[in-house]
Amino acid sequence: MSDPGDHPVPLSTEPADARPDDAMISWRLPSPLLLRVRRIEVAVVTVPLAIAGGVAGAVVSTALAAGIAVAVVVAGALGERFLARRVAAWGYAERQDDLMVRRGVLIRHQSVIPYGRMQFIDVTAGPLERSQGLATLRMHTAAAASDARIPGLEQGVAAALRDQLTALGEAQAAGL
Amino acid sequence: MTAPLPDELPLRATSAASDQPWHRLHPLSPLVRAGRQLMSLVVLLAGLLVANHHRVGGDLVTDLVIIAIALAGGFVSWLVTRWQIADGVLRVDTGLIRRDSRRFPLSQIQAVDVVQTGLARVLGLAELRLRMAGGDAARGGRLACLRRSDAEKLRRDLLALSVAGTAAPAVAAVAAVPAREARRAGPAVVLPERLLFRVNAARLPVAILLSRTGAVAVAVAAAAGLTIAVSGRTSTIAPFLPFVLGAIVNVWRQLNGQYGTTVAAAPDGLRLRSGLIQTTAETIRPGRIQAVRLAEPLIWRALGWCRLEVDVAGARQRREDQGEGQRLRAVIPVGSRAEASQLLGELVGSQPLLPRLAPPFATRWKAPLTYHFLGWNRDDRYVVASRGRVCRQTTWVPLDKVQSIRWVQGPLQRRLGLATVHLDVAGKRVSAKIEDRSDAEAREILAALPDLARAARSAAA
Repeated sequence: MSDPGDHPVPLSTEPADARPDDAMISWRLPSPLLLRVRRIEVAVVTVPLAIAGGVAGAVVSTALAAGIAVAVVVAGALGERFLARRVAAWGYAERQDDLMVRRGVLIRHQSVIPYGRMQFIDVTAGPLERSQGLATLRMHTAAAASDARIPGLEQGVAAALRDQLTALGEAQAAGL
Repeated sequence: MTAPLPDELPLRATSAASDQPWHRLHPLSPLVRAGRQLMSLVVLLAGLLVANHHRVGGDLVTDLVIIAIALAGGFVSWLVTRWQIADGVLRVDTGLIRRDSRRFPLSQIQAVDVVQTGLARVLGLAELRLRMAGGDAARGGRLACLRRSDAEKLRRDLLALSVAGTAAPAVAAVAAVPAREARRAGPAVVLPERLLFRVNAARLPVAILLSRTGAVAVAVAAAAGLTIAVSGRTSTIAPFLPFVLGAIVNVWRQLNGQYGTTVAAAPDGLRLRSGLIQTTAETIRPGRIQAVRLAEPLIWRALGWCRLEVDVAGARQRREDQGEGQRLRAVIPVGSRAEASQLLGELVGSQPLLPRLAPPFATRWKAPLTYHFLGWNRDDRYVVASRGRVCRQTTWVPLDKVQSIRWVQGPLQRRLGLATVHLDVAGKRVSAKIEDRSDAEAREILAALPDLARAARSAAA
């Protein structure tokens, strides 16, 4: 075990009736730049789609072309509203013996992955994420169902977290 | 799977890998490995002979050439394949042009299978398969083929070595005997086994026909029969033929795979034997069972039958059955409740935990049909959860095998104040789902289980 001092949440080892309080867990959030990345992603899809729709509509009438383009842009804008909530839903918390990750707005997920169960940890960054200096951290356990990820970490944070998780994993490693 | 610390890995650090002798596979193994393709070629050949017997010459020569090439390739592959056990690692070197050297740390073995295809049985050969964690069937070790008695001895040695590798001093003495000497030690020392279950040979075909596979086969056959009856000509079933064949193959595969299943407790693990034409003898190392699932399909339930399956972290390697990777291994393909609960007692402790804790009332609105079947329970070693209406599934997960815990809440569940907790274990997307608990209870489970699982892990270690 590494020094638990830098972990914000001293988790009691009391079983069963220790009631968790969401307020007790101090969630760390992804970088605010993640929202920008997601916005660009939506724009990259919406704008060409609006143009293509407009051009296709223009064959019939200008009004239709304008209608399609506006509709697509409005849909994109609505998606953007949803994005902000989705981005805000991501969070992770390093606890003494495990990592908690939460995500999702409509369907909410909250995963607990013991450090000792992590098989390997990936840091990936797509071109868009890279342009904003972000990266995605993926944690894999031996169970196919349980891979968790944290998107939108600043690259330095992601690398540090990866190293820290790896060290913790080695210290607590448990066989299958 | 966690890599063991390097200083634990070599079983006998003093012996250099090069000291250990290299072994070859049995010379007839190319024949067995090509067996399936060979069989279909022979069938094709016979078909061709019958179809156009007036101009046999060219086809026959072509086919013979193909067979000869296949066998020659097999022979070369046999020639360049060799294996060795040294320092607690099985090494398999193969490949003529692209050399391929694989190492399988024996301490990481999940299960060892001895498989005999029909042809291999005739020739007295057997294939040895190692199941390692990771799920990718191609990653497991394969020694195809060895003489049957050799394969069984080798399995015993491997299991003994694998246990020794993970520190069990009592068995280390067995492990100290090099595999080769053990192979020469005359008649194999038969380890005492305790029979736990034997499938009822008459019940199995009926059960398969009453399962989903059987229902599909019957439906397809009925459709084909109906078509013939309506049209009055046999030729009209031609479009059905692939489906009919597929359905028959599926039924056959299940029957072949599950026929004569016996489960026995051996000192080196749980031994499962099954098979009609192709026989398989699996040995699952103690403590390598990740989950146990009791399934009670609707029709079987009426007959008082059920199926008991176990999950092991390595995929079974059966090239012919791709779906196998997703399915669990049936220890009881079909059995009575009494048989199942007896074996369950062996697998998860004498008093299997029952999913007694009923879901809250609000669950009725979300799952009116399954409500009565939802339940869960836990003690300090296991968590059990049940679900499903048509096929009731009860899953036991040892707490020390839990890989991650997930809490999930959908929109409807949120409205009703419910949530589901999944306990994932290694392997094929198996998880115990504690479904539709009240919000407070689900939070409590999510908070309590990581600690319980950790306690169970340290107790097991």
